[in-house]
Amino acid sequence: MRGVAVALAADQGAGSGVAKVRHMSDRTIAWIFIAPTIVLLLAINIFPLLWTVYLSFTNFKANRPSRVVEWVGTRNYERILGSEDVWEYLQATAHFVGWTMFFQVVLGFGLAWLINRQFRGHAIWTTIIVLPMMLSPAVVGVFWTYLFQPQAGIFNYIVNFFIDAGDFTMIGDVDLAPWAIVLVDTWMWTPFVMLICLAGLRSIPDYIYEAAEVDRASQWRQFWTITLPMVMPFLMLAVLFRGIENFKMFDMVVELTSGGPGSTTELASINLKRAAFEKWKTGYSSAFAVILFVTVFGVANIYVKVLNKVKQR
Amino acid sequence: MHSLKKGVFAAALIAALAMFSGGAAKAQGELTLCWAAWDPANALRELSKDFTAESGVKMNFEFVPWTNFADRFLNELNSRGKLCDLMIGDSQWLGTAATEGHYVKLNDFFDKEGIDINSFLPATVYAYSTWPKGTPNYWVLPAMGDALGWIYRKDWFSKPELQAEFKQKNGYDLGVPKNWDQLMDIGKFFQGREIDGKKRYGLAIYTERGSEGITMGVTSAMYAWGMRYDDPKNPYHMEGFLNSADTVEALEFYKELYDCCTPPGHSDAYMVANLDAYKSGQVAVQMNWFAFMPGIYKDEDVGGEKSGFFVNPAQKVEASTLGGQGISVVSYSDKRDLALQYIKWFAQDEVQKKWWSLGGYSASRAVLDDPNFPNTAPFAADFLKAMNGVKDFWQEPAYADLLLSMQKRVHDYVVAGKGTAKEALDKLIKDWTETFEEEGLL
Repeated sequence: MRGVAVALAADQGAGSGVAKVRHMSDRTIAWIFIAPTIVLLLAINIFPLLWTVYLSFTNFKANRPSRVVEWVGTRNYERILGSEDVWEYLQATAHFVGWTMFFQVVLGFGLAWLINRQFRGHAIWTTIIVLPMMLSPAVVGVFWTYLFQPQAGIFNYIVNFFIDAGDFTMIGDVDLAPWAIVLVDTWMWTPFVMLICLAGLRSIPDYIYEAAEVDRASQWRQFWTITLPMVMPFLMLAVLFRGIENFKMFDMVVELTSGGPGSTTELASINLKRAAFEKWKTGYSSAFAVILFVTVFGVANIYVKVLNKVKQR
Repeated sequence: MHSLKKGVFAAALIAALAMFSGGAAKAQGELTLCWAAWDPANALRELSKDFTAESGVKMNFEFVPWTNFADRFLNELNSRGKLCDLMIGDSQWLGTAATEGHYVKLNDFFDKEGIDINSFLPATVYAYSTWPKGTPNYWVLPAMGDALGWIYRKDWFSKPELQAEFKQKNGYDLGVPKNWDQLMDIGKFFQGREIDGKKRYGLAIYTERGSEGITMGVTSAMYAWGMRYDDPKNPYHMEGFLNSADTVEALEFYKELYDCCTPPGHSDAYMVANLDAYKSGQVAVQMNWFAFMPGIYKDEDVGGEKSGFFVNPAQKVEASTLGGQGISVVSYSDKRDLALQYIKWFAQDEVQKKWWSLGGYSASRAVLDDPNFPNTAPFAADFLKAMNGVKDFWQEPAYADLLLSMQKRVHDYVVAGKGTAKEALDKLIKDWTETFEEEGLL
């Protein structure tokens, strides 16, 4: 690094500037190079975060700048953590995140395992399977509302073809709506988990299986002792990505149910958006955002530590 | 060569002059009007051609679908944007728009131009123009009077076999309901009935969760039961008013209507969903704004004599939910004078008459007080009746907060079936009290 700096300085001729550069330490030059990035990071990441934390202790409303802003201490946090409604939104979020993770991991791994067998036409099937994840979540939300339409939608028709379910409405029923959003998200994002698992499966060297065959290990034994442990880091990575994504899920669910019926599918992120940009309770929503951030950050950190341990095994 | 240089120079000069003079004219001679994308907006576009012909001012329009209307334009106002010179915004925005200085106050302009605000229907002036409410501080010119009404399949109601069956079942003639009980009878009668070989349903009512739909729907029942938001002697104190026995009964009734008489899956429906359900022949009756009635009347499938219209039925009192909007000058516009010129033109009696004839709902008394007005359209008399008994939601600067709380509480009860009507209204009072306390009103 020092050599490059000296060469650059020498190219530009002698002078006081050159002398200054020549006396700069490697560390100083390194700082000069990374300073723009750090400034940018502070401006668009760290400052907004700190500002949000500050706002969370006020009654600020962004749509009413002329209103007096008061320091309200921890009142916003107390209201959020003491609100039954907020706990319901968090429960709805946990239901959504938990079940989508479960189905996507099971189905994604299953599909990857099938595709990895490299049957005839597996390439075209891979392309077909990954199509849903190439669509916009908002578009997916809109067209599934048509599929779920009780009179004209194909979903009810298919269900009634197999079982006599009669008139039912997936997104208008309190019991079914939470499963409707799980179903659509699983349909859309299982291919993503499948691709990551496929990468994991293909990274397992053949000789390990060959050695197991020599030792007369059964297919079942091979699966539990070779395939699953070696794919596990990939699977956990997929769960991490999907978990973070689904914790902040907004667009698809809003298009599909608007958070209804009632507040049955009102996920934490939907409620946060409503509080921040429809009710314009900026202070309150900042506190809610901080709580969600800390939750995701904390859980993700623990998860990453576990992931690293699994990788080291 | 010398003359060629001269020619090129002259041509460049002319081109530059044309460019700059054109640019200047464009900046001075254009206005942008922002509103929702719906039939009346198209009528206004047509009407505004006369303004352009008279003044030479080119009109641009920014029409946004209803689903994004409030979000889009409230953000525009909050960010002090210059996109809109003229805004036709919801009545509920008025509190924020006036206190935050989004709209230009029109009192001086009215005085200077001799515009008499009393030449507009008093209910619309009160609801659309004044802030603080009822004071002579005018921010808006009433542009589009509207109220929530009902549209029914007159052709189905006229079928002799259905009339006979209905009378036998309910003991009175099938026709325009006189109260909400009769409305429910009609809903139940048509629910699941086969007409012309197709399965039909009773009523398409508002149930939308995201914006304002279900609130507009349930308040049309609550107002008919005589609901008041708060104590008239003790403003913002709602206990015993918002959760009175009558209001609880109205909310229970609305839920019963939803459970008994709506098509399957009608759990998140507002204006367009109701129009679709009606036009596709799914339902016998739809709840919708008067603004849609001219479009229904002209519709190829359900228009003309196939459809009838009626005002919100009374239960204990005659009252309708207020819709509609007024026109304002956006204070961040660089063309405020030109925008005021448009308002002056729009306020004229002749323009208002043409506005009504094109499908816009004028609130001008020059139009509405005309003895012939009730005969000008099949829904005109009902519109007049509705506008004389309209009630509006809160218009406080914190209206969005109040509205979304109500959306949640009533949707939780009506559609999700959570708790009782009394519990829903008690929770709503708690939410609203918290909001009013934050606003320093309690």
